[in-house]
Formats: sequence, structure tokens, C-alpha cells
Amino acid sequence: MEETNFVLLWKEQYEKIDQSLAINKRILKETISQKARSALRSLIRIKATGIVAAIIWLLLLGAALFIAVLNYSSAVNYFIVSVAAIFIINVKALCDYIKHLAWVNSINYDGSITKIQKKLVRLQLSIFQHVRIMFLQLPFWTTFTLSNKWFPQNVSWMYIIFQILFTASFTYLAFWLYKNISLANANKKWVKSLIEGAGGKSVTKAMEFYKEIEEFDVVG
Amino acid sequence: MTARDKQDLFLSVIEDHKGIIYKIANSYCKVPEDRKDLVQEIILQLWKSFDNYNEQFKYSTWIYRIALNVVISFYRRENRIRQISNPLSEGILHFADTNDAGEKEEAIVFLQQFIAELKELDKALMLLYLEEKSHREIAEIIGITETNVATKVGRIKTILKQKFSQVTT
Repeated sequence: MEETNFVLLWKEQYEKIDQSLAINKRILKETISQKARSALRSLIRIKATGIVAAIIWLLLLGAALFIAVLNYSSAVNYFIVSVAAIFIINVKALCDYIKHLAWVNSINYDGSITKIQKKLVRLQLSIFQHVRIMFLQLPFWTTFTLSNKWFPQNVSWMYIIFQILFTASFTYLAFWLYKNISLANANKKWVKSLIEGAGGKSVTKAMEFYKEIEEFDVVG
Repeated sequence: MTARDKQDLFLSVIEDHKGIIYKIANSYCKVPEDRKDLVQEIILQLWKSFDNYNEQFKYSTWIYRIALNVVISFYRRENRIRQISNPLSEGILHFADTNDAGEKEEAIVFLQQFIAELKELDKALMLLYLEEKSHREIAEIIGITETNVATKVGRIKTILKQKFSQVTT
């Protein structure tokens, strides 16, 4: 087929459509008058379930912390430190998540395609990069049940060694995950399955698309 | 400019360029219900950007940029249909006479099919080529060099020709 034929075929296809295409002005006016304003509210509504669940979780943690501080005794030192750390990490993750959702939603689409799409994909991926901070809470889940009343003085040395190894391995795992879940490792199988397992299919799609844009930018 | 004037100007710009919006939505989305939502999303984003429209560019260039950015992002999202702010029962664009969509020749059907199979950015590039945009304008819209445009258009045309020859032999 001659190269010009593609253009002719395209023109032929849309010529008739162009003539008969009409705008429903009422719907168009409705769209730009009321509905544009509700776009952000809608996004928040869609993500609301997750955000509300996270807030309820934070309230529970906060309440537990508050009660522990209110009825303070040295017996709850481990609990207070552990839950406070878990609380702070969760607050940070939630704030980053909300902030990034707002950024993604407020992006201006008026720009060259490769520039805007790169920006969008980076924003989308940064949500996931901030979520990795959640892994840093892992070691604190191994210490919150300890109490100064019985640890370490009333337990065997075997238990102490077990506790140290247990917490140390979770600390290592947390930092290892935090360090390795990054854009540089985005194509690794385990990173992909970890993200997809957590429901982040759009994140892996974004990663693939980022690669596509990078390749597209290259001449030849 | 009053709010009313701004709205009237926007409506006339959309009226003059409705074909572009339809063609882009149609090329990226074959499901009529999704397409209706996609058109709404494009119009919303155009309206949001209308205040910052840069007169240095033609309206058509501005529309191509925003519409292509919207369609490409739209199809990367999860649960995309539910993310539309307010799904419409009626579409913004419709045919005055539905028969005008008409019976399509086999070649047109193949062309549509082959374009649909292209990667998202290649598809955007090809749409602009088929709309007879200059390499310079395509480069501006896509954000790559004119040389890169020429190379890529040439390569995509070769792929399309090969596909056509496979179905016609």
C-alpha cells in the first residue's frame, strides 16, 4: 500500500463522521459548570475508604498510646516507644499518600506528551516510594509486647538471645526492603510481585510505561 | 473577559475542534460507554487549562496536547471507569445521523485495527501524522525532536504496510 493511502483512508473514514458529529451543548455546559469543581471531591471519595481505614487505625494506635502515657509506669516503656514509632511512621505514610494524590489530581495536562506523561508516571511511582516507609515499622512489632516488669531480668538468656535475633532480623529486613524497593529495582520480579500483591497493579503499569517513554525519547 | 464570555469562547473552540476530540477518543477507546466518559474527561481538562491557554500555539495544538495526555493517562489508571467524576447518561458528542458512521470498507477497518495495536505513544504519533500535521508540529505536541518524529513515523508506516500486505495476500 502506498504511504499516502493511509492518510486518504483516514480522511475518508472521518469525513462523514465530521459532518454529522454534533455537540450536546447542555451536557457540555453542565460538565464545565458544576462537574469540573467536583473532580477533586470525586477522587477523594474514591480513595476515601482506604484513607478512612488508615485514620481509624491511627486513632486506635493513638488511643492506646494516650492510655499508656496517662497510666504511665516503667513497665510500659517498650510498649510506648514501639507504638509511638509505629504511629509516627503510619502518620508520615498517610500524609505522603494524601499529598501525592492531590498532586496527581491537580496536574496540568497542557504540555508536551512525553514531558507530562513522565511527570505523571514519576508522581504515581513516588506514591509507592513513600509507601515503602511502612516497612520501617516492622522491628517495632517485635518489641511492643515486652515489659520492663519481666524483660530482661526474669527471662532466660535463651529468650534474650531469641528476642535480640528476632528484632535484629526484622530491623535488617525492614531496612533492606526500604533500600531495595526503589525505581532502580523496578523491573525485578520480586519487586513487581510484592507491589502487585499489595494491589498496586497501576504502579507496575506506570513502571512499564516509564520504560516506554524512555525508549521513545531515543532517536533511531 | 467575563465568565460568560469565557464560557462562550470555550464552547465555540470545542465546536470548531470537536472532530479532533472524537478521533482521539475513538482511536484509544472502542467501548462506547467508556468513550463517552473519556470525552467528558478531555473536555474537563481542556476547561481547567483554558485560563492558561498560550496564544503562541494554535487551538488545535493545545487540544491535541491535552486530549492525548488525557487518553494516555486514562488508560493507565486502575478502575478507570469509576474514576470519572460524574459518569454521564448522555454523551457530549453524538451523531446527528447515526447512519453516517456507515459501513466501513475493509481497508479502513484494518487501518483502525492496526493503529489500535500500536503502543500508546506510537499511536499518538500516528494519529498526528494521519491528521497531516507537520513534523514540527508533531514534535511540539509529543515533545521529541523533528528528526525523531521522521524516523519513528517512517518505522511505523513500514510496520503498517507489512501488516496490510499480510492481510491482503
